[in-house]
Amino acid sequence: MVTERSEVATVTRPRIHIHGARKSFSERVVVDIDDLILGEHPIEGLIGPNGAGKTTLMRMIMHSTSLDEGKISLLPTGSKDDVPVVLSSMHPHKMAKHGVVKSNQVIMDFEKLTIWDSLLLSLTEARYEQPQRIFSESEVFAEHADEARKYLDLFEFADPFGHAESAGEKKLLDIVRCLLLKPRFLLLDEPTAGLPDELTERVMQVIRDLAATGTAVVIVEHDLNVIWNLSDKVHFMAEGSVILGGDPQEIREHSTVIAKYLGEGHV
Amino acid sequence: MDLEFLKESIVIGLAEHAPLVLAAIGFALLYRLTGLINVAYSETVTLGAYFGMWLNTTFSLNFYTVLVPAGLLAGLVSVGTYFAIFRPAKRRNVGALELIIMSFGLSIFLRHGLQFVFGYPVRFYDVPPPTSIKVLGVGVSSFRLLAVASVAALALALYWFIQRSSFGLQIRALASDEDLARASGIRPLVVTVLIWFIAGVAGGMAGAFYGVGSNVAPLLGWRQFLLILLVVLVGGAKNLGGVIIAGVGTGIALTAMTLQLGQVLYGDLILITAFIIILKVRGRRMAETGKV
Amino acid sequence: MNLDWLDAFLISGLFDIAMVTGLALLLHLQLGLARIANFGVVGFWGLGMYTYGVLYIQVDWTIADPWRFLICAAAGTIVAGLAGLLVGWLIADLDDDGVLVGTLGFATAVFILATTEQDLTGGAIGMGGLRFPFDVGSTKANESLWLLILVLLVAAILFYVARVHRSPYGRLLVALGDNEPLARSLGKATFRVKLGQFALGSAGMGLLGVMFGVMERFLETSNLGINLTLAAIVGLVVGGTARVWGPLVGVLFTVGLFDIVIQSYLPLPRSWYNQAIPVLREMAFGAALIIVLLYRPFGILGDMRRDKLMRRIHGD
Repeated sequence: MVTERSEVATVTRPRIHIHGARKSFSERVVVDIDDLILGEHPIEGLIGPNGAGKTTLMRMIMHSTSLDEGKISLLPTGSKDDVPVVLSSMHPHKMAKHGVVKSNQVIMDFEKLTIWDSLLLSLTEARYEQPQRIFSESEVFAEHADEARKYLDLFEFADPFGHAESAGEKKLLDIVRCLLLKPRFLLLDEPTAGLPDELTERVMQVIRDLAATGTAVVIVEHDLNVIWNLSDKVHFMAEGSVILGGDPQEIREHSTVIAKYLGEGHV
Repeated sequence: MDLEFLKESIVIGLAEHAPLVLAAIGFALLYRLTGLINVAYSETVTLGAYFGMWLNTTFSLNFYTVLVPAGLLAGLVSVGTYFAIFRPAKRRNVGALELIIMSFGLSIFLRHGLQFVFGYPVRFYDVPPPTSIKVLGVGVSSFRLLAVASVAALALALYWFIQRSSFGLQIRALASDEDLARASGIRPLVVTVLIWFIAGVAGGMAGAFYGVGSNVAPLLGWRQFLLILLVVLVGGAKNLGGVIIAGVGTGIALTAMTLQLGQVLYGDLILITAFIIILKVRGRRMAETGKV
Repeated sequence: MNLDWLDAFLISGLFDIAMVTGLALLLHLQLGLARIANFGVVGFWGLGMYTYGVLYIQVDWTIADPWRFLICAAAGTIVAGLAGLLVGWLIADLDDDGVLVGTLGFATAVFILATTEQDLTGGAIGMGGLRFPFDVGSTKANESLWLLILVLLVAAILFYVARVHRSPYGRLLVALGDNEPLARSLGKATFRVKLGQFALGSAGMGLLGVMFGVMERFLETSNLGINLTLAAIVGLVVGGTARVWGPLVGVLFTVGLFDIVIQSYLPLPRSWYNQAIPVLREMAFGAALIIVLLYRPFGILGDMRRDKLMRRIHGD
């Protein structure tokens, strides 16, 4: 464990700084975070009961929901000399360019696109997606097919030329789309929900490999086994704020956590 | 600012464009309930004009007598379209964009179909020339004054009905969440049919006022549709009060511009441009996508 | 070449079919794929036509045809494209209601301007004085030539649309129309893409308007009503919004049915053609929209089969 830590310390990892961030819906405060830094550890978990504001926080980071107050910034290499990139006012489509990517908790899919389409969509650079480049499909395919096939085989998609049918397939597809964007900061919102154990295991391995290469990963999960297994640090969120942070062992044993969350059973 | 110009703009603006406010209220009711733009509403207006003209010329009734029946008939047509088209469409989960296109198809169908019933040529109300009454020193026709009075009365009645009565509460509940409304004992079908009917009546009466003021032609309602739509979208379909204010303001602005520029269409053009810019500026809200 | 069978009505009918097909194809990219509810088709088409016509007649040209024609045609196309850029910018981040109002408002504005500036445009009375750019003989020969040119143009548009379906750009348009927020989260600049698509489509519509101006050699504001937009939408919806061939099939079944079959070949009483048939045409179009969207929303040709397409392109 100790040697892993020192290896990991030499890799530059981006950080996200959440500062004074508040969001209310219909007069109810849903997220209220004074000061939080994400990404100091390779894989961080974010847990908490339903309604704690975890998904809303994720959406605020991605600026698909705007903040009422405060600021969220990205430090690209995690060092103090970085020029912070403000995420909370950025156009959502520019996030991917800065390497900030999020998977979806709710099933989000392109109904009209096949699985291959989805992967190629992620992989294709903007210069090919121009109105005049109507003969570039084979070039794009030749360039990216192998990379896509890696994941198609790993997650055993039944018919990649077809559409994703089951909820599990759509979930996986969503995750693979994110992975193909080569994220530097990856937010996963309940990535293993609805997946069979075998595939959950593979997703976890992919996350570990990704984190080892320098990507910061933050996972929201209700399956606590995934959290305890993967995370180097866990944040516990309730009623809009992060009330605890520590390594998995500490969090598991904390009485507040047990009372508020583990004791009531998972939601 | 020239006081005469101001008086004329306000008095003539209100008198001439009162039907616009009435039609906008009807459309706003429907828009709030369904959340969708019903292009065929313009034909409710047109048919109101035709019904009134038909009652007037066939039974030799004066305008004041045919006004309400014309509205009622238009209301029935409105309810008819709900049962024939929009209710089945909702049952089949037709998408929002497709519903707009369907309502467009219905509008076209009615606009041309009515010519097989009422004939192709432009028709006219058979009414004696209205008396001119002076309001604030500006001459207005009695028909137009009646329009303003009716609109004011209806607007107030509807405003009170929707915003204050218990039935209005049911309507607002139904508009925001049908399942919840049903669970609270509200009967969606009754309320929905009532809304379609009232919207039709408002539109039909507006049409009758338009028709008696000039002529009755198949494009009568369609010509006003864009303006009605803009008034409702800009006035804010959330609140009938906003729609009324926007409608009145639009009417006065249109008259003022016509007086100033000497050409009716320029006023239309300026207003269309201004409203679209307002919608664009306000429309930034779309950026908040929420689900991703 | 013996063109006796090609009478004036037939040429006119075929021209309409080709032109509406072209418009429906362009609308397919905007409405069918990217889901932009463009109710202002006639506005861009009309702007192209009027720009062409007004420049051709009102400017004191020293250059002769065909250069005069080419310059005016290019101007018409470009002006329509620029209008598309402006309108597109206004509507690209609005919801369906906003797009409807914005595009309809634009088409209305074009109609208003064409009517009020009658010194320039001839207004409601109309403006003649246009000639065929190259004179190849009789009116019929000229009309046939321009019909051919239009057919080639529309064939090129059809080819382009087919290629778009098979290219990364097409995939992006489908994704955009399907789930825009999701596409944005993948780093796609959806506003810019929609804007570019809209401007390009508008330019194409303008060019088709120019073609109409050449063929008719007469500009009148009565052409700027909603009927043309309706015909394009009906063609697209009936044939199928999702398929490349949808617009052509749809237009053949609607415009083709009325403008050729009923107009030329059905033995109906003469008096019907003046008013009853045109009114019936519009009624039928309206009914077609309702019936198709209720019972067979993907049109005659059915839904897009991207699985078949992808298998065909990339499968082994």
